[in-house]
Amino acid sequence: MSVEVRIVEGPLGPMVAAPADGAGAVVCFEGVVRPLESGDPIDALDYEAYRPMAEQMLERLGSEVCSRFGLMSMLVEHSSGRVDVGACSFRLVVRSAHRAEALEAMGEFIDRMKKDVPLWKRPVRSLSRTDG
Amino acid sequence: MRVRVLLFGPEADAAGASEVSVDVDETPTCAALRAHLARAVPALVPSLPGCRFALNGEFAPDSSAIGEGDEVALIGMVSGG
Repeated sequence: MSVEVRIVEGPLGPMVAAPADGAGAVVCFEGVVRPLESGDPIDALDYEAYRPMAEQMLERLGSEVCSRFGLMSMLVEHSSGRVDVGACSFRLVVRSAHRAEALEAMGEFIDRMKKDVPLWKRPVRSLSRTDG
Repeated sequence: MRVRVLLFGPEADAAGASEVSVDVDETPTCAALRAHLARAVPALVPSLPGCRFALNGEFAPDSSAIGEGDEVALIGMVSGG
């Protein structure tokens, strides 16, 4: 079982296909910045992380979820700083023997991350929009 | 004792700063710090009841004592992902 956590500046690059390494299920979730925030158009989201607490909590949470669901590995990537609309700001890749535990683990990890891990986002709107 | 408190997200926006320093009693608890913060930074009052403190990168209950040199952070509602 392995857990890898990366908090990177700016948008996440494209996913690099990883070898299955004996897994029967490789599940990837990508969070993408939407063009609307609370119904209003935005240009980007500006993410803020309290490091190293966020990295430590993501690693700990990843280990707990991997153990509970018997996963083979987990990769967590989250952006810090500006991420434009349409770009990827969060990625979770889980490997396991079967799909059921992988899919359930994804939901649990994301729910707990959104509740406890010290990460924040602010909407970024252009002046032309706010003036308009 | 003077305690430096790191602020993030909505709390940093409300205070207009990424950190604040407050003078507190010797060996204060997180609960005491919460009360001191409310007096020192009134803009934080609306969100303080829903905030947690972290000491040296770990969430800490209100009964936790704050020591000299501890890194103290106020963690409001998070919004990652």
